[in-house]
Amino acid sequence: MVDPGHLELIHAEIDGELDARQRAELSRRLLADPAARSLRDDFQRLCRALDAVAEIEPPPQLRDGILAALPPSPARRSSSAAALRWRYAAMIAGVLVAGTLVFQTIRGPGSATRDAAGTMAPLSGQTVVDTVRMANNGPVGGRVSLYRDGPELGLSLELTSGTPVDVLIASGGHTLRVSGLRTPTEVALPGFPMAGQAVDVTFLRAGHAVGSATLRAPKGQ
Amino acid sequence: MKEDDDRTLVRRCREGDREAFGQLVTRYQKPVFNAALRLLRNTEDATDVAQTTFLKAFEHLGSYDPSFRFYSWIYRIAVNEALDALGSKKSFEEVSGVEKDEAPGPERRVESEQMSRAIEDALMRIKPELRAVMVLRHFMHLSYQDMSDILLVPEKTVKSRLYTARQLLRDDLLRQGAF
Repeated sequence: MVDPGHLELIHAEIDGELDARQRAELSRRLLADPAARSLRDDFQRLCRALDAVAEIEPPPQLRDGILAALPPSPARRSSSAAALRWRYAAMIAGVLVAGTLVFQTIRGPGSATRDAAGTMAPLSGQTVVDTVRMANNGPVGGRVSLYRDGPELGLSLELTSGTPVDVLIASGGHTLRVSGLRTPTEVALPGFPMAGQAVDVTFLRAGHAVGSATLRAPKGQ
Repeated sequence: MKEDDDRTLVRRCREGDREAFGQLVTRYQKPVFNAALRLLRNTEDATDVAQTTFLKAFEHLGSYDPSFRFYSWIYRIAVNEALDALGSKKSFEEVSGVEKDEAPGPERRVESEQMSRAIEDALMRIKPELRAVMVLRHFMHLSYQDMSDILLVPEKTVKSRLYTARQLLRDDLLRQGAF
């Protein structure tokens, strides 16, 4: 059984991450531990073999196929594209609000939390107050930013998830849920306080949490 | 500088220059395709993943933050796409079952080409998340920091996965007689 400390140094050596002091330390340990020496030889051999695996040329038609499949619109935030996106998002938000109202009506009063759809926040006058790059092990990556837009808070979500996710936003006794997010989206948080409290964002897929982020709201109006 | 070139190309793409995107495809199609190929071990699937990766990149270029390296961003899309494709097709255990029959016997001393084959077989027998770090480190030669950015996990986790993957591969190759 090789000491974990030896193992870490062996891997670090392979990756070129050792400084002179650590290299001397590793040499000293290897001299005293034949099992560690043998393991180090194996890893070095493995990594040499891995590095020697040849790269494969992609199919010659790949580039042309990609370019031929590009959508006609350029990948930029043109004003017409933005307007269309806002209109589309507002439509989704409207559907979500209506759905929520129906749900609330069916469920009746008495719940402490409030499920409501987010509405798209305007681009102008926004000040980003906190940003989190998601560093979880789950399938949702990307960036979440909390911004202030006049008297209200909003959330900007730039997700790299391959499939749509639901987003649950909870802060200061308010809860908001937005379903089926995939592309970059901005969600207004009407009524959410600005008291320096935490804003917890949870990403859900099929009802299960697959990631989370916590941001901090600013203090005061 | 390559990074400056990437930024310039991205800016031109955002301004509607499709040829600039073509240059990004030319620059990154090989590493993206190879990353997908090593993760999936199927040329057709890797081609699909590479195509989807670039289409998604084009679609989301407006939300790309130029303060991050472009290759980290596009490799992240590629790795996620490949892992999704892997998950939607078959589990790694099933892959393992298929590939084991093709692995070299214990009495067979493999030469360079056979060693590569043995390694590719062994890679398919470890979990996709471990395979991903091996691919990023040994086939794409990325730093711990780059891998952390791409996989959205801390460097500590990157190292832990890398060390575990190497150990599993080494043990597997010893069992197969490839070492």
